[in-house]
Parts: sequence; C-alpha cells; structure tokens
Amino acid sequence: MLKKLTRAPAALVAAALLLTACSGQNDGAGDAAGDDPVAGGTMHMLQNADFSYLDPARGWDGGVNAFYRLVYRGLTMQASGDAEDPNAIVPDMAESLGTASEDGLTWTYTLKDGLKFDNGDPITSAELEFGISRAWDPEIGIGSPWLKNTVEAPADYAGPYQSGDHPGIETPDEHTIVFHLVKPFPEFDSVLAQPNAVPFPIGTGAGDEFINDIIASGPYTLDTYTPGSLIKLVRNEHWDAATDDVRKAYPDAWEFEIGLDGATIDERLMAGQGADVNAISGRIQPATLARIQSPDLADRVETADAYCTTYMGMNTTKAPFDQVEVRQAMNYAIDRASLQTASGGNQLADPATTITPPAVNGHKDFDLYPSDDGTGDPDKALELLTSVGLQDGFSFTLDIRSQPAMQAQAESIQQALAKINVEVVLNVIDTSTYYETIGTPSQQSDAAITGWCPDWASSASTMVPPLVDGRLITDKGNNNLAQLNDEGVNARIDEIKAMTDLDAANVAWGEFDEQVMGLAPMAPLLWEKGVFLPGENVANYIPNTSMTDLTIIGLKDPSAG
Amino acid sequence: MIRFLANRLLGMVVVLFLVCLFTYVIFFVLSPDPAVQICGKNCTPEAIDQIRANLGLDQPFWAQFWTFLTGLFTGRTYGTGVNAIDCAAPCLGYSFQTSQPVFDMILQRLPVSATVAVGAAVLWLLAGVSAGLLSAVKEGRFADRFITGLTLTGMSVPNYVLALTLQFLLVVTLGWLPFPRAVPFSEDPAQWFLNFLMPWIVLSIGAAAVYTRLTRANVIETLQENYVRTARAKGLSPGLVWRRHALRPALTPIVTIFGMDFAGLLGGALITETVFGLNGIGKLAADSITKNDQPVIMGVTLLAAFLVVVGNMVVDLLYTAIDPRVRVGSAT
Amino acid sequence: MTFTPTALEAEGAAGGEATGDPASTSPPRSGRRLTRTFLRDRVAVACSAYILIVILMALFAPLLVKLSGHGPLEFDQAAVDPNLGGIPLGWGGGISADHWFGVEPGNGRDIFARIVYGARVSMTIALLATALTSVLGVVFGLVAGYFGGRVDMVVSRVMEFLMAFPALIFMIAVLSALPAENRQALLVVVISFFGWPYLARIVRGQTMSLKQREFVESAKASGASSAQIIFKEILPNLSSTIIVMTTLAVPGYVGTEAGLSFLGVGVVPPTPSWGQMIASSVPWYAVDPAYFLFPGAFLFLLVLSFTVLGDRIKKIAESGEGRA
Repeated sequence: MLKKLTRAPAALVAAALLLTACSGQNDGAGDAAGDDPVAGGTMHMLQNADFSYLDPARGWDGGVNAFYRLVYRGLTMQASGDAEDPNAIVPDMAESLGTASEDGLTWTYTLKDGLKFDNGDPITSAELEFGISRAWDPEIGIGSPWLKNTVEAPADYAGPYQSGDHPGIETPDEHTIVFHLVKPFPEFDSVLAQPNAVPFPIGTGAGDEFINDIIASGPYTLDTYTPGSLIKLVRNEHWDAATDDVRKAYPDAWEFEIGLDGATIDERLMAGQGADVNAISGRIQPATLARIQSPDLADRVETADAYCTTYMGMNTTKAPFDQVEVRQAMNYAIDRASLQTASGGNQLADPATTITPPAVNGHKDFDLYPSDDGTGDPDKALELLTSVGLQDGFSFTLDIRSQPAMQAQAESIQQALAKINVEVVLNVIDTSTYYETIGTPSQQSDAAITGWCPDWASSASTMVPPLVDGRLITDKGNNNLAQLNDEGVNARIDEIKAMTDLDAANVAWGEFDEQVMGLAPMAPLLWEKGVFLPGENVANYIPNTSMTDLTIIGLKDPSAG
Repeated sequence: MIRFLANRLLGMVVVLFLVCLFTYVIFFVLSPDPAVQICGKNCTPEAIDQIRANLGLDQPFWAQFWTFLTGLFTGRTYGTGVNAIDCAAPCLGYSFQTSQPVFDMILQRLPVSATVAVGAAVLWLLAGVSAGLLSAVKEGRFADRFITGLTLTGMSVPNYVLALTLQFLLVVTLGWLPFPRAVPFSEDPAQWFLNFLMPWIVLSIGAAAVYTRLTRANVIETLQENYVRTARAKGLSPGLVWRRHALRPALTPIVTIFGMDFAGLLGGALITETVFGLNGIGKLAADSITKNDQPVIMGVTLLAAFLVVVGNMVVDLLYTAIDPRVRVGSAT
Repeated sequence: MTFTPTALEAEGAAGGEATGDPASTSPPRSGRRLTRTFLRDRVAVACSAYILIVILMALFAPLLVKLSGHGPLEFDQAAVDPNLGGIPLGWGGGISADHWFGVEPGNGRDIFARIVYGARVSMTIALLATALTSVLGVVFGLVAGYFGGRVDMVVSRVMEFLMAFPALIFMIAVLSALPAENRQALLVVVISFFGWPYLARIVRGQTMSLKQREFVESAKASGASSAQIIFKEILPNLSSTIIVMTTLAVPGYVGTEAGLSFLGVGVVPPTPSWGQMIASSVPWYAVDPAYFLFPGAFLFLLVLSFTVLGDRIKKIAESGEGRA
C-alpha cells in the first residue's frame, strides 16, 4: 500500500507489532489500575486530515481501514489489537477461515447466522457477492486491488451496476460463498480481510448515495458527516455481539473531530479539558515529547512500532545509479543517526537497514552496510565510488514531497552525501501530485524519498516484492521506483509466492529481503514509530502504526467529560 | 439612475464572467488530470479514458467551460447510468475526493466562516471607530500618539505571528482561553464567545488599525470644514456639532470601505481559520489546495470573487445614495 | 496586516488627497529641507537603521556566517537531544557562544545563519516585487488617467477584475500547482500581478486631476507631445505620491512572501526564509519559544519599520508641500 501518510489521518495511521502489542497489554494492566473499558459514553478522535473515502471500495489506507472496521464487516479480518499476534487474519462473518480446493483455485466460506445490516435486513451470501463485486466498478473500485488481482473475472466485467452478477463468485445457498481464483493464492484469507470485501444491500452504493447514509454491517453506523470537519457514529442496533469474536464496541458513540492542527491536538490531549479526557489521536509531534515526561502524562503514554519503511529509491535506469557500487555507496554514506534525530529522535524513529520492518511477519534482521552508530561510513562509500571512477563525486536530483518531515530527511541526506562530494539537488513536489509524479517513470528523477507499508502485516509478501518485481514496472502508478528488473529477483518472488506453508514463506521473504539489499535498489532510511497520548479516561487503547484497532477501545468511566 | 444601475450590473456580470473564465483556464491548464485522481492508485489507461468520457473531460475546452457555466444556473449531471451524480443548481462543481457538490461543502462551512467574519467585522468597526474618534479628539496629545503607535503595530504584525503569540500566551501559558473550537452559539453562548474571541481578534487587528487611522483622518478633516466652523460659531452645543456635522460625513467613507473589506474577508480568513483549526470556508480552501481538490478551490475562488464584486457594487450604490457629491456614472 | 488591500488603498487615498491639491501651486520643493526634517525624526531614523541592518545582513550573509562559524544548512547533532524529539540542548533554544540565536530542533541548524540568509530572500522578493509593481502601477495609471476614454475603460476594468480576485487563495493555488524551479522569480511575478492595481488606481486619479491643471494645459498648448507631458509635467508631480505608496507597499510584500512561505508555497527548502522558519516553529512554540521568537521578531520589526517609515515619509511629504 502506498504510504500516503499525509492524507490518512496521522491519527489512525498506526500499527503496533507483536512486541508492542504485548507490552501494550502489560502497560494497560499496570497503569489502568483495574480500569477496564466499560460500555457507554462517547469516544472522541482528534485528527488533522479527513478520511479518504467513507466507501470501503474506494478508500485504502491505514487510517480509513481502522475506521471501516467500526462500520463494515467482511468474511475475514485482521485480529484484534490485543491478540497474541495482531497481524494474524481471523474469521469475521465467516464461520472459519476459507477452505481451498486441492488445486488452490477455489475457496469456500460459510457465513455465520444472525448477521444483519443496520436497517435490520439479513446479510446473506448474495449481499456479500454484490458488495465484493463493487471492487470491479471502474469508478468506484479504486481501493485495494487485491480482489481484482486474485478473483477470476472476464476482462470486460465492470462491477454489479454495469455488468450484473460476478461470474467468478458463486453463492450456492444463503450461507455459502465460493471464489474462483485466477491462479493459486495461498494468502487469499488476507485478500478478503481487505476493506473492500464487505457486503452491501443489493442495488445500493452506486454513485455517491452512500455518503450520508452508510449501510453498516459493523457495530456502528453513520449519524452525521460533515466532510473535513466532523463525523458522528452511533450504535447499529442490529449488530449482534454474539456473531462477532473481535469487536467489543464499548462506547455508545464516536465523534471524529477533523481539521485540527497537530500541535493543537497534542495541547488538548495534554490539557485534558472537558470531553478531551475521552479523546484519542495519532502520533504526537516530536515537540511534544519533551512535555510528556511528567509522571502523570508519562503514565498515559503508549508506544507502537513501525509498520512502514521510509526509504530512498534509486532509479537504476539513470547513471550513475545504474551501477550497483554507487547505490551501495549511498547506503554506506547516509547518516541514519542524523535522519533519526531530524525525524523526531529515537522515540519516534529507528534507523532502517532492511526493507521489511521488524513488526511485519517475515522480517529478518541484517545490516549489509554497517557503520558506527549508524552515522554513515563515508570512507567505505568513497572507496566504492573510487572503484567506479566517481571519487570526485557527482550530482543527482532527489524528488521529495513538500512536507516538513520529508524535507528534513532530504536535507539530512544532502548533508551526509556532501561528505563524499555528492551533490543532492532537491526537487520539491506538491503533496497532492507527489505519488503520481514519482510513480510515472517518464517523470521521476534520479531518486525519491517515499515510504512503503505492507497491505497485510501477516507476511512480507506485500512488503518487498511490489518494490522490486521487474514485471510490475508500469507507465503510471509504478511502485518499483528503482525500476529494478533482475531475473534472479523475479524468479525468487514466484517461488516464494507459490509456497503454501506461510511460515516457511515468511522465512524465505526475510532471506529474499537480504538478497535484494545486496543489489541496493534503495536505501532503507527509517522506521517511524509512534508515541501516543490517549485521554486519561480511555482504556484498552493499543495504538498501532499500521491500523489501530478502534473496536476494542472503551472508556473507564462513561459519565466523565 | 436606472441607466447607471444597468451599466453597473452589466459591468459586474462582465467581471464575474472574466473571473470565471480566468479561473477556469488557470485550473484547466495547471491542475493534474482529475480523471487520474478519481481513478486512484491502481489505475489502468482504459479506466482513465472511460472516466474522462463520463465526465466530459474529453470535450474541447470551450464545451467544458460552457457546461460549467450552464451548470451554475441549471445544475448538471456528472457521468451517466447508475453512477451518475446529480449536482443541483447552483452547481459550482463537484468534489470527487469527498463525493460532495462544492456548493454543499461551502454551505456546510458557512456558519463557522460567518461567525468568524461577522464577529471580526463588529470588533474592528467598534475598535477602529472608537479609537479613531478618541485619537481625533485628543489630536497631538499622548492618547493620540499612543493610538497611532498601536495602529502601526497592528498593521505590521503578520496575523499568523499574532495568532501563535496569543495562543501561546492566553491558552498554553495562562490558560485563560480554550483552544478555539467551533462551538455553536445555541449550545453554550459563553463558550461560543470564548472560543471565537482569539480568531476575531486576529482577523480584525489589521482592519481595526486601518479604520482607526481613517476615522481619525476623516474626523480631523471634517472638523476643519467651513460648515462645522459655522455651526460652532452659531453656538451649537459641541455634542450636537459632533453628532450632526462631524460624525456623519466623517464616517460615510468608513461605511463604504467596510462593505468592500467585509466582502473580501474570505481571503483573510484563510490563515486565521487554518492556524486555529476552525473548519470554515477559508480552511476548506487551504485543505483543498493541499489535497489538490481542484473543483473546491475553483468554487471557493469564484465565491470569493463574487462576494468582492457584489460588495463593490453595493458600496458604489450606497455611496451614490449617501453622498450626492459623487457624480452618477463616473468611472469605477 | 498584509492581506487587507484596502489598507494600502485607504492610505493611498488619504495621502493622495492631501498631496494632490497643493501640488498644483508649484512643483515639489527641493529635497534638502525634507531630508533635514526626516533626520530630526528619531523614530524614522531608527526604522531606517533597522532596515539598513537587515539589508546589510542580507548583503553580507556569507561573511557573517563565517564569523559565527555555522552555515545555514549545516547540521549539528551535538546541539540537540535525540531522546526528546530533537529538542535543542541548553537554555533559550540552545543559545550559546557557538550558536548565537540557538539552533533548530531536530537537526541543530544554526538559527543566526538561517535568519541572516532568510533576510536575503525577504528583501530580494519584497524589493523586486515593489519595483515591478511600481513600474506597472505607474505606467498603467498614467496611461489610463491621461488618455481616458476607451484606454481608461480597459485598464480600469482589468484593475477592477484583478482587485476582485481573492488574491491570496489564488496565489496559493497557482504556486502549489506550478513546478518549484525559479520559485523566487515566480513569487515576485505573482505578487506583483495582483499588487499593481492598487497603485495604478491612485496614480490614475491624480493624473486625471493634474491633466486639467494650467501647467499641463499650457504645455499642451505649446505643442508638447503626450509622452513629454506625461513624463516631464505629470510624473514629477506624482513623485511624492509614488514614493509614499511604494514605501507603504514594501511591508505588504515582505508579509506576503513570509505568509506564502508560512503556508508552504513560498521559497523551496533548504533555502531559509523567515516565513518558512515560523511555519516550522509552530509545533515547537510551547517547548522552544526562541525558535519562534527570532524569525517572528525579525519579520515583525521589518514590516513595522517599513510601515512606520512610509507613514513618516507621507507626513513629511504632506507637511513639506503644505508649507510650500
């Protein structure tokens, strides 16, 4: 998934990995002093940016995915935030995970009993098929591409509104739904946990009619929506907790206050006036760290590890980055310690040496380009540059987004590379067109700073391959910024993807990561972690830099605020 | 008079048309393809073509501009078939990023913007005129010099610098005021006042300074006019001279300028609303620029221009009505 | 502040009325007495001194930075605390003998060096924009006022059109959509494009009244060409108005540049600019007020100095001419 962190409410863009989730639990038990979440009250969420889309077929980023969990249900879902492995995929409306046929091409699911929309209508396999097939509509289905990539459909199938029933999905009876795949895909359960695999009442959801009347399948439904400023959710009376193993849905209502400045959000959380004791938000600003050291505030702090990697992609089609020595030299020369400080210091960022972050299943710990304290090794870099006759340095253009955090990172790289006579020219691109520009090979410059998060954290299969698979280079929307097209790499991707033992596959992905980094198509820079400050009345808040599980949060005292 | 009115109206329509055209051309040339944005992250060239056709983006410039113009009066429909989207008149455009007609988005933000603008206007009128009067009465004395110094400071302080300074002092350090939130008046009048106080001050300070200076200059000038001297010589009480002969003529130009300033507030409110996180129309514009939500930027630009043009026209008419010295039909 | 165009207009109108009428009796007086009056005005001298300091700072930025020992782009990891989000170590945002104004949080860049270099951006853009605006404003104002009729109608409509535009919104939209190269030149062009009508309108009005004065009529009668009349007879009589108006316009442009940089569409990093420094200090204002105070104070004082100076010059021009 493209890391569009600015558009996603920084608030929700969070994901804690295994380690944090566990420590989070312990924290909760310790400092909450027996204050468990209780049903009732209104939970407040303060955020800077609006959600991308309320339609799950359109939106697809960490922030809005967390929101969708409150209002939509699918066949499977990511495990609850306090689970032992929060990255795991577990059944939601399905009785169990899918059953694959011998050839891996047919996946069958059985629906639970008693599932209803917020209008009281039952949810059957037909509504699921209808909702899922919306992903094929060319104007609506702009969210997660995984359904379209895996489920078989004729090339001219254009969604239920234009082309009717989906030919690749069968509904033999009300409780059974069967998917036919293009080719075997052992991680198909993860595909159905994507936000666009949710039921819609047949015939609804065309055009923009959903905007003020979401037809919810989850525990909450839309009360009011003022784009860019306010979203209010109230309980969906027809959601039955007995059919839901994951969502706890403690609060009676949710209020998302949108459009607030990051610094103001932090101030409000620290001050905790009135209803702000019931408020949560995204990562705090680096400036706030110094102010939450007092014991009462420090007690409330929660942390989460990074699920995304910030990296500098080097365009291997342009000299001198077509030479592996030069790309390796960049990896040596970059001062990751200075990058870390510029990005908020050691509480908010870790230097990255691999493509897969430690929080994502399948991470392997290695550092092919080590230096003392991560401050860079200019000597080693110069040695490599000398070996290809570039000891006098060169100049290259670095695409960056016009956003302070990324500019600070670019300026750090500029400083570090100046030591090996490499001049970095910054090409600042407007935030709204940034990804479009760097994703168009004819427009991208020599290098670019961007980030990448896995589409599901249960494996590294969506972490490394999309960035280095040479067959995925496209004229537009290209993710392989390096434009690396290496036969060995491509072949290895196919081998690992075919593995049905997902644990073994994850080990293989870790080794694959190391294989790729040998070619240095990119310089991993940082893993940007999160520090969070929930209101003092908030319980069971387990933040996550990929997707915070909002469905298990509650208030300690619903009458407060 | 009727001819003057007709002329003025015609001029206004021409200016508005040019504003529309100019804005449309700029955005047409500069902004990235909206079809690409609608299409999202996993787009194919075919999908883009289809969206372009649905939205009429494959039409020549003039045809698109014409559709836009007619949409303003009759509304329009985007796309065809089940995914068709209705945009009722006055259709200022449709934001595909938020799935809302631009006009609706502006209407939703109007209460906050109106509160900020009206409150600021009241504040700067009150502060400006009273400080100006005081200054004029005490011309040359300490109070006058003090107020003049204040106005120069008020004119010079960038409003974001003032906003941040006030927030740091009054909210963070002293805790006298809350972090501004758009609390509706009906919910809690006291909170409403406290929450909007800082935005009002920040937005009005520059104008208040200018109005102080204007009032001062006008009053001093009027007091030197012959008819005021005559009135004084006739032995009218100072209060009466002030009210009848000095104040009214001195304040007339203020009223007229006020019309234009008030109409132009939308632009000024952009920074204030952004700094304080108030979701008004100015913030909508700022956010839309960040997200490159072109139809919204265009809609707000047009609305702001419309307000200024209409404001100018009303001022002209008022001026003609109030001050007979202005020759009817004089240019601009 | 800077975004209320009527401020400028109102000042101009007031100044215009006051200077326009007496000017008819005789051409402006020799400047010596005015200069003396000016030098006796302590506030005006202080403002000029501050402006001069900023100009010198801008001119000698590389030299000053050599003295202070840190370049504007140089990181100093030792000056910030990586454990607390990169907050500057020490009192007052890291003020020390080494870093005179402290350092930026996160990267430890020297604030003194960035202020000094930022002065370059502010002054260059504001002065160039003023120059361009003045030329455009004077030329169009003279032409429209002198020729009247259709020419006047066209120019007046264009002015009306530009003044009707929500300039700030439009500037941001255009700047954010345009590529970042030559951003400084672009800023000058965009600011001037929306700025000239305010001057032109006043020049036009005064030209119209001057046109009917005896000395113009007599010049016309003696067969002088339009160009001669405009440049020899009318322009000199407008000089005080133009000086006052341009001085009053400079602070507006300083503020506009800083405002646009504050909103993130101004000069491109890593080039330092005061507006951009203020913008990046926003999240830090509660923990590290010095980071906000230095650029904020420098900017405020510069705008204030120009405003006060314009005010004083206007007064002196008025009184000087009034006494004549």
